[in-house]
Amino acid sequence: MLRKFVAALGLMAACASPAAAQEAARVNWTSFHSPALEGNLEGNDPQRGVYVITPPGYDENPDRRYPVVYYLHGYWAAAPAQQEGFRLHEAVDAASAAGNEVIMVMPDGYSRFRGGFYSSGPTVGDYESMVARDLVGWVDGNYRTIAAPASRGLAGHSMGGYGTIRIAMKNPGVFSSIYMMSACCLPPMEMTAESAATIEAMTPEDIAAAQFGQLAGLSTLATWSPDPQDQSTLKVDTGLRADGTLDPLVNQRLAANSPLVLLPQYLPALNALEAFAMDIGDKDFLLEGNAQFRAELDRFGVEYEFELYEGDHGNRIAERIRTEVLPFFGNHLYRE
Amino acid sequence: MLKYLAGAALLAIAVPAAAQNITAPDAVVPAGITVQAVMVHGASLEGNLEGNSATREVMVVLPPSYTANPERHYPVIYYLHGFAISGRDFYDYMQVPTAVAENAAAGREFIVVVPDTLTAMGGSMYSNSVTTGNFRDFIGTELVAYMDANYRTIPTREGRGLAGHSMGGYGTLVVGMTHPEAFDSIWAQSACCISARSETPESAAAMAAVPREGADAAGFGMRAGLASAVAWAPNPQKPPFFVDWPLAADGTVDPLVLARWAANSPLAMVSGHVAALESFDGVALDVGAQDGLVRDDTLIHEEMTKFGIEHFWEVYEGTHTDKIGARFNTLVLPWMAEHLDMGTE
Repeated sequence: MLRKFVAALGLMAACASPAAAQEAARVNWTSFHSPALEGNLEGNDPQRGVYVITPPGYDENPDRRYPVVYYLHGYWAAAPAQQEGFRLHEAVDAASAAGNEVIMVMPDGYSRFRGGFYSSGPTVGDYESMVARDLVGWVDGNYRTIAAPASRGLAGHSMGGYGTIRIAMKNPGVFSSIYMMSACCLPPMEMTAESAATIEAMTPEDIAAAQFGQLAGLSTLATWSPDPQDQSTLKVDTGLRADGTLDPLVNQRLAANSPLVLLPQYLPALNALEAFAMDIGDKDFLLEGNAQFRAELDRFGVEYEFELYEGDHGNRIAERIRTEVLPFFGNHLYRE
Repeated sequence: MLKYLAGAALLAIAVPAAAQNITAPDAVVPAGITVQAVMVHGASLEGNLEGNSATREVMVVLPPSYTANPERHYPVIYYLHGFAISGRDFYDYMQVPTAVAENAAAGREFIVVVPDTLTAMGGSMYSNSVTTGNFRDFIGTELVAYMDANYRTIPTREGRGLAGHSMGGYGTLVVGMTHPEAFDSIWAQSACCISARSETPESAAAMAAVPREGADAAGFGMRAGLASAVAWAPNPQKPPFFVDWPLAADGTVDPLVLARWAANSPLAMVSGHVAALESFDGVALDVGAQDGLVRDDTLIHEEMTKFGIEHFWEVYEGTHTDKIGARFNTLVLPWMAEHLDMGTE
């Protein structure tokens, strides 16, 4: 560990020469190795693409260290397409202009079926630890971060909003403030014998041609009801029995991955946060799940900020990362 | 040995009607063994709505060489008791000092720690609950930190084992899965509560009809249900039990409550905690063939097998209680010695 730290210091010293001035946020699309993803049954690459966006002045100030905001993207598209929409560098520039210099990091959360849900299972891989352990360690080892929870924020959109609350609950002490945007998957997903049969009947061609709603059921099942013994290449347990009924264990596994269901066990982690925020558009199809989750937070007395804004599931995300999310972390993350 | 048998007999008869909690005669403390009953405060337990004490008695059993070797550090086994028994009575019943002495005589020196988690409903379920207290975190973080700060432990993951019986076997699995960084190896004896509890509208209504002042006399099975309910589906706004019963307003079973119970069942947790379970140096499960829990425990053995989690598994000739103390002495501790960092003399 010490050797790694010393090596990292050497690396930083080597790259830190202020040759070229950095006047605007710099977008680095690079990759890191995640041991947590090794051996997953979908063949998702443990060498993960990652955006690291350093703020203006990063090169000119080789002794300066920065807080980090980790951002988790949503389902369906890989990180590069997400960054096209999010334009994280513009948010980092705006934050810097306000005196709030941060490094922003967005790992690739894509998988064989278009999203790993930042969860943990043998079929898709342990995306949760990929973020909370491997990515954080790699960023701290390779960039001039303030390597402490007080200077780490976690945020995400949709599937990434789910990942934000999941990782905060299950990995206390890594991130000190969190921001969930339009979070998906808060109430438990429910499988029926019919939906199980539909998934089992999907051919590779069906899967390749599947639209959002058709594929999401399979993607979440692969994540939350994995089955390494499955004879098919899906490696999922749909719960469909030979007699056409559904094994209740499948819905129990899905429940055990629902933040709404898990909440009472993980209150200490949420109550220990420095700050917690959620937002969602008033035309978002996920409004109901978010309302249920907020009602539970209220019932258990969890403190959080909330905003319902005019918008749908995706039309104002880039804007709000810039105008809401980074200012929120600017208020709460420790900086030197 | 006589006392052990007496304890077994007591356990067998002490379950009925009004007596509630199981007691046992004092454990034999062999020469050379030091036992300290310490009070450990848990910030995790403060403010719980049942009024359970946030300061818990913890039986700490030190091996024979502990005093004579002031430089030596020892591995620690955290041993979790079952339902409707205190930590001290479980320590007595299991003859923990004798187990520590006999293992030390064979060259295996451990500190064994038995925390008390007896609550108003008869047991914490080693879960986090605003109603009962956050016992899952208390065991996985605060108790471990207390031991490392106050005793010459081997203060690393490799120096810690976690074991327990019945509700404590359940606790071993759930504390282990959610705090894998704390423990090197885990052994669940006759674990309870493996598969999700379900209710009919009638049984849910019966549970909801128990008066708070009558909970103590509700019988072992009902009390276990009440303890599970308050541990897994607490509601800070619903006195006097501060619980969501699994009963919806319209008289049907409440699916969110059952989902919460399910999410706390080790069987449903395995698939999401494969990485945690694989991270242990050793995992072990055992249960008696004459134990009513053998079917449930077989299910989690099968689920672990399905997910490729290596583990020791044995169904032995015995009941829920008759062999557990002897097996802790002759099997659990020797197995832990094969897995843990035992330190150097």
